[in-house]
Amino acid sequence: MSRADAPASDGLLPAWLSPGAAVIASLGVLACVGLAFAPTTASEGRVMWTFARPHYLMYESRVETWNKTQTPKVDLKLISLPAMERRMMSAFLGGVPSADLIEIERRAVSRSFAGPIESVGFYDLTDRLKQEGLLDAINAPSFSPWTSRGRVFGLPHDVHPVMLGYRADLVEAAGIDVSKIETWDDFARAFSKLQVDANNDGEPDRFALNMWETHNDHLELLLAQAGGGFFDESNRLTVDSDINAHVLATIVTWIAGPNRIAADAPNFSAAGNRLKADGYVVASFFPDWMGDIWKHEIPSLSGKMKLMPLPAWEKGGRRTSVWGGTMLGIPKTAAKTPEQFEELWKFAKELYLSQEFTEILYRQGGIVTPVKKHWSSPLFDEPNAYFSSQPTGRLYINLAPDVPHRNSSPYNTLAMNRVADALVRLAEDARRDKVYDYAALKDRARALLKKAHAQVADQIARNVFIAEPDAQSQAQLQSSAAGGGS
Amino acid sequence: MSAKAVAIPASSARSSLAPWLFLSPFLICFGVFTVYPLIQAVLLSTQTTFGPGATRFVGANNFVALFRDPLFWKACSNTLIYTLGSIFIQLPLALGLALLLESPNLRGRSWLRLVLFSPSMVGVVFAAMMFGLIFEKRTGLLNQLLHGTLGIVGIEWDLDFGWLQQHVMLGLIVASLWMYVGFNMTFFAAALQNVRKDLVEAAIVDGAGPVSRFWNVTVPAIRPVAGFVVLMSVIGSFQLFELPYIMFSSSAGPDNRALTIVLYLFQNGFEVGDLGYATAIGWALAVILVGCTMVQRLLARGEEASA
Repeated sequence: MSRADAPASDGLLPAWLSPGAAVIASLGVLACVGLAFAPTTASEGRVMWTFARPHYLMYESRVETWNKTQTPKVDLKLISLPAMERRMMSAFLGGVPSADLIEIERRAVSRSFAGPIESVGFYDLTDRLKQEGLLDAINAPSFSPWTSRGRVFGLPHDVHPVMLGYRADLVEAAGIDVSKIETWDDFARAFSKLQVDANNDGEPDRFALNMWETHNDHLELLLAQAGGGFFDESNRLTVDSDINAHVLATIVTWIAGPNRIAADAPNFSAAGNRLKADGYVVASFFPDWMGDIWKHEIPSLSGKMKLMPLPAWEKGGRRTSVWGGTMLGIPKTAAKTPEQFEELWKFAKELYLSQEFTEILYRQGGIVTPVKKHWSSPLFDEPNAYFSSQPTGRLYINLAPDVPHRNSSPYNTLAMNRVADALVRLAEDARRDKVYDYAALKDRARALLKKAHAQVADQIARNVFIAEPDAQSQAQLQSSAAGGGS
Repeated sequence: MSAKAVAIPASSARSSLAPWLFLSPFLICFGVFTVYPLIQAVLLSTQTTFGPGATRFVGANNFVALFRDPLFWKACSNTLIYTLGSIFIQLPLALGLALLLESPNLRGRSWLRLVLFSPSMVGVVFAAMMFGLIFEKRTGLLNQLLHGTLGIVGIEWDLDFGWLQQHVMLGLIVASLWMYVGFNMTFFAAALQNVRKDLVEAAIVDGAGPVSRFWNVTVPAIRPVAGFVVLMSVIGSFQLFELPYIMFSSSAGPDNRALTIVLYLFQNGFEVGDLGYATAIGWALAVILVGCTMVQRLLARGEEASA
């Protein structure tokens, strides 16, 4: 095209700029100007992430007080757990800054332990905890989810012992004395009296226990209580252990067959809450944080509930378990100098370990602190109206030292899912073949767990970064912690 | 002819650069956002990694492990069942509804079209949560409905029947049927409007019945659109993720019955953190989709040749 053919300028725009291009360019310029002058919400001071709204509400006033009296200021941010996990892992893997303090849940943090120990994105707090006597001052099992290859990467927030919550109105009306219940067999015998068929359809309309093959959390806590689980203290995979097979077979006798005592009333759902309120299930698993949720979601049961220690798997056995867990960690990118680390460490201790926080934690969330010196506080002896005026804090604290240790393996969730799959298949096989005999169920459970074990082992074998189990350092740490507790 | 140096005028050099200059925005974006990630994905599938700082070359181990992994095959079979359900239930239903909408005697056509199409405007997350509630045990709408209606004729329906435990894929297919049948219907409806009326009238004059007209006039006319809809359904079905992820609360359902290929990729990459293995799954999915596309093109070409 010659110059003579070029479109003539219309007077407003130069010849080389078409109206369309002018509109696009104007929009581009406007967008750039808008972005440049857009108000930003830059954080003032250090940023702390938390994932739970109740935690956020508990910390708000504490952070406000800190910011008035101490430096550096802390900016508390509430982020959903999946988002936090992704952002945290992206930052750790990329070696870029994230938050200065990260409060994170047990399953989400375990992924950060998947690489070489020096690649864990959190500061190793082991030596500092030892120096300051905190390994002894804090309930020993509370460290286990944050301990990888013998090193501790987080300050524990809680203990989360588990009890059994039951409908006291129904149980007492039936003349059942729960103090005589020691084992799960005792429980099944005593509570099965409550299973009535009110509408004469041949099926009970009420079941003794809220448990189903799809309740992974319940399965995990029962395995932990029995001394089973997915990894031993040396990080060896134990999915196909005999004790796991025993637990799976026993659970199936609870949920299927002529001696069924359990039914499905899902947690954290409107449908499940309605079933609980209607008395479809009499007893449910209650970690210390669950009471607060029931108070808000099922207020109609206030004064009708009571807590008892979990029945043991055998006489004299463990009467509690553990469900959930949170830690506070300091990312390596947050503190470039020892002074910066000290500032953050001071805040972390002030937030988690003080007497004031113990009170807030218990009053607002029903959660008992892992700091043993605070356990003598009269706060924990106060009657709890929801649980028929029982001193629930004291009941949980009495069980806290017996909470089972857990493993921090990044493969915990995977192993749990495979064991849960085995339970689903075991239960369905039992229903299909109508075989509810414990011995037969245990044999089948062994076979299913063996398969599950192989699947998890294959996956772990692909990770070339997980070193051989460092049994010695792990044992040293645990003996140190346990020694302090005695 | 002897070689002779020819001086290229400056304007000619400029004009030979001009096409590259104009293409450069696309080429740069294509290189940075498509070619480079593809190369990285190939490399990643041969590695075990923990961030860029910790990588180990493992060769074809991820692929070998993948082909030995029973969960991967379970994910493939679940995805295939869902895909077959989409093609053999959803698409005929969509075509049937489109034929119904094109029926000259139909009243309330616009209203019906709106009703049938509206579920596809609903977000997948909402639909997944809604169907989760419908299929719930004991308090779920479906079990309550069956309990109530069958109870009238004396059949006791078990309120504890676990739709989302024992019939997972059926639940997913029904949910996606509700969401997408109206969407696919609009493609067929558009294709049906382009069926030549003169051919239909000629067939009627020749004595062809409705079934004969459908197979010999309508189907050949809508075949290109049908091929496109099938291909899109296959690709969409193989990428199934959100529906089971939401319906089963971020899991793959009991005994991995809702595990799909993309969900397995997600679990490995973002829950376990095994990015190398997840990338290998991604490549396997890409190969499957390329295979499906090629089969579809071959079939279409064969039909064109025989026409």
